[in-house]
Amino acid sequence: MDSEELIQTAMELLVPWALKVNRPEGNRLDVFVEPHHLKEAVKALVETQWGYFSALTGLDQPPAEDGATEGHIEALYHFCRGPVVLSIRTSVPYSNPVIESICDVIPSATLYERELMEMFGVVMPGTPSTDRLLLADDWPEGVYPLRKSFTGLGEQKLEETDGNAA
Amino acid sequence: METQRKFIVPIGPQHPALKEPGHFQFTVDGEIVTDASVRLGYVHRGIEKGAENRNWTQNLYLFERICGICSHVHATALAIGVERLAGVQAPPRAQAIRILMAELERIHSHLLWLGVAAHEGGFDTLFMYSWRDREIVMDLLESLSGNRVNYSVNLIGGVKFDVEDKHRDAILRGLDTLEERTRHYLNVVTTDRTFLARTRGVGTMSRNQAELFGTVGPTARASGVARDVRVDAPYEAYTLFPVNLVTDEGGDLMARFVVRTKELFESYRLIREILDHLPSGELTVRVPRKIPAGETVSRVEAPRGELFYFIKSNGGEKPERIKVRTPSLCNWASVMQVAVGHKLADMPMILSGIDPCFSCNDRMVLINRGSSSQVWSWDELRRYGIEYYKKL
Repeated sequence: MDSEELIQTAMELLVPWALKVNRPEGNRLDVFVEPHHLKEAVKALVETQWGYFSALTGLDQPPAEDGATEGHIEALYHFCRGPVVLSIRTSVPYSNPVIESICDVIPSATLYERELMEMFGVVMPGTPSTDRLLLADDWPEGVYPLRKSFTGLGEQKLEETDGNAA
Repeated sequence: METQRKFIVPIGPQHPALKEPGHFQFTVDGEIVTDASVRLGYVHRGIEKGAENRNWTQNLYLFERICGICSHVHATALAIGVERLAGVQAPPRAQAIRILMAELERIHSHLLWLGVAAHEGGFDTLFMYSWRDREIVMDLLESLSGNRVNYSVNLIGGVKFDVEDKHRDAILRGLDTLEERTRHYLNVVTTDRTFLARTRGVGTMSRNQAELFGTVGPTARASGVARDVRVDAPYEAYTLFPVNLVTDEGGDLMARFVVRTKELFESYRLIREILDHLPSGELTVRVPRKIPAGETVSRVEAPRGELFYFIKSNGGEKPERIKVRTPSLCNWASVMQVAVGHKLADMPMILSGIDPCFSCNDRMVLINRGSSSQVWSWDELRRYGIEYYKKL
């Protein structure tokens, strides 16, 4: 199958859940879905063996400065097959950052989910482990370093965590 | 008493001698591992966050320092992605030099791995020989770039140095020696009986498992998965110099040794071909300081497998987001699943079999429920593995 056929197959598979479909580059397909549809969409890919789960990217969209819009976290589930990169994208608000885990479909996703949880503060029901993967054990709860609002722990917090460690 | 013999074996996180720290916890029932988990991040440096405060050029230097073994592919992945967003392409000669360096880097990385893996299995002669031979390619990398690590080949828009005739001759001479030595190594890893006792049928991962876990690189190819970014989505000069895929159906540790060793021959062949048909022309194109807004995915084949970059620009001098997924992360996930059911004595070889960018494992605490506990080092675990197999 050439990349055009691969993209067409993926589009047909994901049509039931797609809010929007985008072709940012020749070999790429972005499919936007609702958070509660994400797992079903992933399942459809796995069941038909369309490619493999390659990466999970988190993107922070901070709230507007005047507070008119709420901040969102966007999660991009990248699947690769041959030259094609398919990204299933879903966006959740800060107030309800919940995306169901896909680990019972793809067991190895646990490492990626642990990273998304600790770096962006996404809650992932059903994930087998919520342990820290990359951040330090004494990293303060509720501080998500890859959100744009994070600019450092500040001296006081650093001292506190040093104290805790000792 | 027998029923109480369940151990949890934490290994790591510190190891002063090797490259990177990690922490593993194996639950064992007697000899057999029944559960395995991993904790990474001991050398997490916040590079993805740091990228958002640096301009594109500074980031090239930052990302080259993600890994000391495969530094060049990181910089290449970033440079290709940024060039794509900027709507430019490196000149043909620069593209060829990029993949020439990438293949030299693959040779040094595979030889380094061969030595480390042999050492974990107790074959220190092979370790010493392969690292001695690796010096040949290290010298070549240094003579080309001036550096043994972090070659700093790339600019956004091209490469910094040319490959001249004197380099060409030195590379060809080096490759001849390496090829002869590699033939010897292939012979050792496929015929040496003590070696095969540690690798054949150990850590087997079926093709289906490898597919499902998203395994990449030589680890995937040793399970018969035809997956190589250089072949699936040729980038840079790989379109001019196609790669022959090396796979093996075995799926065990032996297959991983065979695949990596055979890939060395493929790298030698590619480098000779590149040197014979090196395109002429410029080494760089101009790229604006501000990169147009957009998103791109840049994938390259690192020595350990697919390296994945997601790059987002907001139109400024600094990136909005750069996400890096290294091949070891994919392979960790798979090896933790495969470890279950194997003997504790096989863990050093199984872990090093994926060529992880790890190295850790200084402490190991043996907890015997209801009795005394004991502290082991990685070195003791390694020796335990070697002694265990001596008795068989």
